[in-house]
Amino acid sequence: MLSTRVITCLDVHNGRTVKGVNFVNLIDAGDPVEQAKLYSNLGADEICFLDISATNEKRRVMFNVISKTAESCFVPLTVGGGVNDIKDFKDLLSCGADKVSINSSAVYNPDLIQLSSDKFGNQCVVLAIDAIENFKMKSGYEVTTHGGRKKTNLDALDWAIKGEKYGAGEILLTSMSADGTKSGYNLKLTRLISENVSIPVIASGGAGSPKDMVEVILKSGASAVLAASIFHFGIHSISSVKKEMFKNGIHVRDCGF
Amino acid sequence: MKIVIINYGSGNLKSVENALKNALLNNNWHYSINVTNDLHHIKNSDFILLPGVGAFPDCKQGLLKTVGLIETLYEQVINKSKPFLGICVGMQLMVDKSLEKSLTFGFGWLKGTVERINCKGVDYLGRGYKIPHIGWNNLEIDQRDHPLMKNINQQEQFYFVHSYYIKTEDRKEILASTKYGHTIPAVIGKDNFVGVQFHPEKSSNSGQKFLSNWLSWKL
Repeated sequence: MLSTRVITCLDVHNGRTVKGVNFVNLIDAGDPVEQAKLYSNLGADEICFLDISATNEKRRVMFNVISKTAESCFVPLTVGGGVNDIKDFKDLLSCGADKVSINSSAVYNPDLIQLSSDKFGNQCVVLAIDAIENFKMKSGYEVTTHGGRKKTNLDALDWAIKGEKYGAGEILLTSMSADGTKSGYNLKLTRLISENVSIPVIASGGAGSPKDMVEVILKSGASAVLAASIFHFGIHSISSVKKEMFKNGIHVRDCGF
Repeated sequence: MKIVIINYGSGNLKSVENALKNALLNNNWHYSINVTNDLHHIKNSDFILLPGVGAFPDCKQGLLKTVGLIETLYEQVINKSKPFLGICVGMQLMVDKSLEKSLTFGFGWLKGTVERINCKGVDYLGRGYKIPHIGWNNLEIDQRDHPLMKNINQQEQFYFVHSYYIKTEDRKEILASTKYGHTIPAVIGKDNFVGVQFHPEKSSNSGQKFLSNWLSWKL
């Protein structure tokens, strides 16, 4: 039976892990290479790096972070942030990333989804969708880019369906209004997307407790859960999340709990 | 001992190399690893690993770009019986043919057809089966005494990511399988060659155990 994945996300700024509430007020939460190793030893099913560096020079630091992580961390690595073209894909994959997530660049250049999926296979193309409530949209949700700062006038559901059609292998769905609040995932949004695409949907944004993670799996049909803050600051461990999931009948990968 | 990882333009070579290096280091084995498409190196190797990421026709095309590569693999694996490991599409290439995108022929070392995973219905939580099949899934070991299954527990979990699988009637060539809606061969093999649908290089300690078994395979 396929285990439901628990994915830890490390937001990396200039080579250091940070995590802020609603993407501002960044707090340094450590060295990403060491953290990735630790999480992998503690039972994380995947590690996700999101590079939020502002400049291209600083972004080069990320290649070093990925190479070092891939040398000692033998679980899948997803990397996103600032991926603009096929060359970025190639560079990240050759450093040791297994999947690349694209967000703004896919919105402004949807061809990138198809190009990258044709070249590297859809299993390594993760379409990251940052959605916010907007009742003017047909589905009630609008796609935003640039960490939630820019609106796109794209309907989140339409975009998810298109993304799958263009060749994305997975959708990383973040509710921007819930992100960093620790008040639970957006169940309505997650269910809306996962019921209407046939590729896996990773629920992200809002995890505050193991119960939130159980809830989003049982009530929204997500294939995996992703969280950052609750793990970084030792509020909850990966094993306590998996224990709670297991108790609620969700099959997880054993991590010695 | 010399290991070659066949480099034919398919991704994840670094991950495979890293994972092998780690397995060698942990066992204190001093093998060399060469990532190459040089036929001379392949002929001089002791272990041959064929990775594979992406679509079957593209991988086959990539192999064909090096003139004589497929023939050399046949000569070294089938005639000279060197230990061979195919990963993911590298595994799928070992069977007769694939229906991914268009009909493409594989090496035909084992019987089987690569077809799209076809899961109807919903899983135990009422979720539809998503494709690709991504994540950690249990291994149901059919051939417990095979040397590559040493120290691997029944139901141990490995990392899978694929949309196509090998459909085969030949039960005796299936060493282990997994379930995702229907049964999917996870480890297939015969004599000196094996293929795995999962990614041992991404399967943490379980993957390391499997790679160690392969590297210590005495034929």
